[in-house]
Amino acid sequence: MTNLKILFTVVATLAVFTFVANVIPQVQSAVPREIVLSADMPPEELAAIGEEIYAGAGGCTACHGLGTRAPDLLGVVGGVCATRVPGQSCKDYLWESLVNPMAYIVEGFDPIMIDQSILSSQAELWTLVAFLESQGGEITVNADDFAAALAADDAAAAAPPPPVVTDPSQVDAVALITAQGCLACHALGGEGGMVAPPFEELRGQDPAVVLEGIVDPMATINEEYSAFAGTMPTIFGDLMSPVELDVLVNFFVGGAGAGAEAPGDAPEVPPDSAGGSR
Amino acid sequence: MKRWLTRGVATRGVLLAALALAVALPLLAQAPGPDYGEFNFLGLDRRGAVWIAAQLHLLFAAFVLGVPMFAVVIEAIGMFGGDEKYDKLAKEFTRLLLVAYSATAIWGAILVFFLSTLYPRFWAYLTAIFAPSMWVYAGLFFLESFTLYLYYYGWDAWKKGAAKKAHWCLGIMLNVWGTIVMFIANGWLTYMMSPPEGLTADTAPQTVQLWSAINNATWMPINIHRLLANVVFGGAIVGAYAAYRFLTSKTDEERAHYDWMGYTGNLIAIGALIVLPFAGYWLGREIYEFSQQMGITMMGGFMSWLWIIQAFLIGILFLAGNYYLWIGMGRIPGAERFQPYIKWMLLVLVLGVIVWATPNTMIADRDEIAAMGGIRHPFLQVLGVMSAKNTAVNLMILTTFLSFLMYRRANKDPVVPWARAGTMLQGAAFALCAVIVVFYGVYGYFVTAIVRIGFSVYQVLAVLATILFVIGIDMAMLRGAKSRGEIRWGRMPDRSQYALLILAVTFTWLMGLMGFARSGIRQHWHVYEVIRDTSEQAFTPALGPAATIISICVLIFFALVGLIFWLGGLAERSVYQEAEAKVKAGQEGRAALGDPMPAPSLGDVD
Repeated sequence: MTNLKILFTVVATLAVFTFVANVIPQVQSAVPREIVLSADMPPEELAAIGEEIYAGAGGCTACHGLGTRAPDLLGVVGGVCATRVPGQSCKDYLWESLVNPMAYIVEGFDPIMIDQSILSSQAELWTLVAFLESQGGEITVNADDFAAALAADDAAAAAPPPPVVTDPSQVDAVALITAQGCLACHALGGEGGMVAPPFEELRGQDPAVVLEGIVDPMATINEEYSAFAGTMPTIFGDLMSPVELDVLVNFFVGGAGAGAEAPGDAPEVPPDSAGGSR
Repeated sequence: MKRWLTRGVATRGVLLAALALAVALPLLAQAPGPDYGEFNFLGLDRRGAVWIAAQLHLLFAAFVLGVPMFAVVIEAIGMFGGDEKYDKLAKEFTRLLLVAYSATAIWGAILVFFLSTLYPRFWAYLTAIFAPSMWVYAGLFFLESFTLYLYYYGWDAWKKGAAKKAHWCLGIMLNVWGTIVMFIANGWLTYMMSPPEGLTADTAPQTVQLWSAINNATWMPINIHRLLANVVFGGAIVGAYAAYRFLTSKTDEERAHYDWMGYTGNLIAIGALIVLPFAGYWLGREIYEFSQQMGITMMGGFMSWLWIIQAFLIGILFLAGNYYLWIGMGRIPGAERFQPYIKWMLLVLVLGVIVWATPNTMIADRDEIAAMGGIRHPFLQVLGVMSAKNTAVNLMILTTFLSFLMYRRANKDPVVPWARAGTMLQGAAFALCAVIVVFYGVYGYFVTAIVRIGFSVYQVLAVLATILFVIGIDMAMLRGAKSRGEIRWGRMPDRSQYALLILAVTFTWLMGLMGFARSGIRQHWHVYEVIRDTSEQAFTPALGPAATIISICVLIFFALVGLIFWLGGLAERSVYQEAEAKVKAGQEGRAALGDPMPAPSLGDVD
C-alpha cells in the first residue's frame, strides 16, 4: 500500500506538471525557409509567412513578447488594432505602426521602435500585417494591397542604387542620424529616446569602439542600458556607406551636437573595421 | 550478486561506449553515408530517443556527482566532530552511488550508440574535434569508478586514525574526478551552444583547436551552474530516499534515522537552491553576450512562457520545503510557541507564488479584451511586471529563511545576557529588509526601466545581507543555549515524507525543463549558426510536447531510482540478517561454553 501511495504521488505530480505545460499557449519554433511571395497567395498563407518573419528575420520578438520593451502582440493585437485610433482601420493602423511607429505609442511603453521599412520589403511588411491581424482578429489584407506592394518592391529593386557618397563634406551628420531613426532610442541635444546612451556620451571615445558599436551593437554592452541589449538592429553597417559611417563616428567622438569639429578634420577611422560587415 | 552489479556494470558501460567511439570515429569521419539514421520505436523518433537517453544519463550523472559532495562533507563532520552517526549517514549515501553509477554508465553508452547511429555525420564532426578529450573522459571515468569502490568498500577497513583521513581523501578525489568529468562533457555541449568565433559550416573540424572549442563562452557558467544544481539535486534525491525508507520502516529506530536523513538532505537542497539563481543569472548574461538572438529566444521569444512554468515549479519547491519544516516543528519541544506565525508565512508564500506566476499579458479573445479594457488585465497587469515579481521572490526567500530560523531555535532558549536585545535586532533586520524590498518594488513602478533593473540588485543584496547578519547573531546567541528537550526524530506524520518526494520530483522535472531551455535555444542548429540540423526534427517543439518527454524521462528515472532504493534496502537487510545470524550463533556458542563476555549487538554491524 505504501509503495502504491508513493507511486501515485510521483505520477500525480508529473501529471499536474504535464497538464499545466500543455494548457499554456503553445508556440513551436519552426525551421526558417526561403520565403517566396506572390500576389495570388491566400490570406492564411500570407499570415503564415508573416509569422515566420515575426519570429525570425524581422527580429520582432527582440521587444514584443518580453513584456517590458513593447506590447505582447500574440493573440491580442488583431482584436484591438481597430480601436486604437478613431477612424483608422486595423490594417491601416498596423501598417502605420510598422512604417511610422512614432505615430502612436501604446501607453506604458517607450518610443523605441524603428521604421521597419528600413529592414523589410513592402511585401514582407504586408505579410506581417496579415499575421498581426490574425492574432485575435480577421485578416483584411487583400490581393490588391499585396500586388501594389510587390510592384513597389520590384520598382525599388529596378531603380538604380543611390550614389555612394564619397565626399565627407556632402554628409550632414544630424540629417543622417534623423534619417536612420537613431533618435528613436538615443538622444541628441536632449531630444530623442532614453533607452540607449545619449550621443553626447560618446565624445572623446575611441573611434574604433564607436564604429564597432554601430555595426555590431552587441560587441560591447553598456551596463546602464543592458536591459535594452538587443534592441538595436545590426544593419547600420550595410545601410550607410563607409564615408557616412566615418563622418558619423567623427561627429560623435568630436562632441555630437556640442561644437563638433568639421567632419574632415576629425581623426581617421580605421578603414578595415567597418568594411567587414558590408 | 550485489558486488557484480555495482562493480561490473559501470566499467562495462564505459568500455562499451569507448568501443563504440573507437569503431565509429575512423569509419564515420571518412564514410559518405547518410546524415541521419532511421529510428521509429513506439512513435519515438530519433530526436526523442537521443533526448531521453541524454536526459536520463544527465539525471543519473547529476546524482552521482551531487551525492559524493555532501557524503564527503558529512564524513568530515563525523570524523572531526567524533559523532559516528554522521559517518554512517555518509556511508549510506555512498551505498546509493554504486548502483546509480552503473545506471549513469549504461545510459551514457546508450546515448553514444544513439548518437553514432542516428546522427552519424554530426557525431563524426564532434569526435573529430573532441576525440582526445573523450579518451581522457573515459580514463577519468575509470579512475572515478575505482576511487568509488575503494571509498565504499574500504569504509570499515579504514575507520580509525590516519587510515580514516586517507579514506576521507579518497572521497575528495572522487569529487575531483567527477567534477573534471563533468567539465569535459560540458565542453562538448556548450560548444554546440556557443562555438568559438569565426567558425563556419565549411570549417574542417580537424582544424578547430580543442581548447578553444572547450573553453567557449558558456562553458564556465554552465560548469558552475551544474555544480550547484547537482548539490541541490543530490540533496533532494537523498531526501526522497530517506522518505521512502521512512515510510517503509518497521522500527522507531529506523524511522528516527531516516527522518534525520531526510531533514539533512532537504536542508542541503533548499540551501543550495537559494544560491542557484545567481549562477543562472551569470549563465543567462553570457548567453546574451554571446548572441543577442539566442538570449532573446530564451527570454522573450517562443520560450517566454517557459518562465511562467518555472515560476510555478519554484513556487511548489518553496511551499513544499516550508511545509516540511513546519510539520517538522511538531516533533520539537518548544516549537509550539511559533505555530501562530505559520499561517502568516503561508500567506506570504502563496501570494508570492501567485504574483510570480502572473503573466504580463493575457491570452484573451475579443470579448475578454473588451471586458478588460485592453490587452492587460486592469489589476493583474500590476503584478505581471518585474518590480512585483522581484519583490515577491525576495519576500519568499526571506520567509523561507524565517521558517528555518524558527525551526533552528524551536527547542533552544538562549542564555546569553543580550538574548532579548539580539532577538529584537534580528526582528529589526527582518523588518528593515522587508521594507527595503517592498520600497524598491513599489518605487520601481515610478522610474524608467533602466533604473528599475538596478533596483533588483538592491533587493537581492538586502536579503543576502539579512540572512548573513541574522544567522551570525543566532549562532552567537545560541552558544550554550538551554534545551527545551531533544528533537523527537521519527515522530513525523507520513505527509511530511510525501512533501519530500514531491520536492524531489519537482527538482528533477525542473532540471529537465531547464535542460530543454538550454538545448532548445539552439533551435535548428546542431552547432549554433555553424552546423545546421537538416533532419525533419529540426524544429523546436512547443512546451506541451516537451513537457511530455520530460515527464517520461522523470518517470523512467524514478522507476530506476526506486529500484536503486529497493536494492539499497535489500543489501542492508542481507548484511543485517548475516550479522543477526552471527550474533545468534555467537550467543549460542558462548552459552554452550558458559562464556560470561557480553554478546555483540547488531549496532556493531553496519
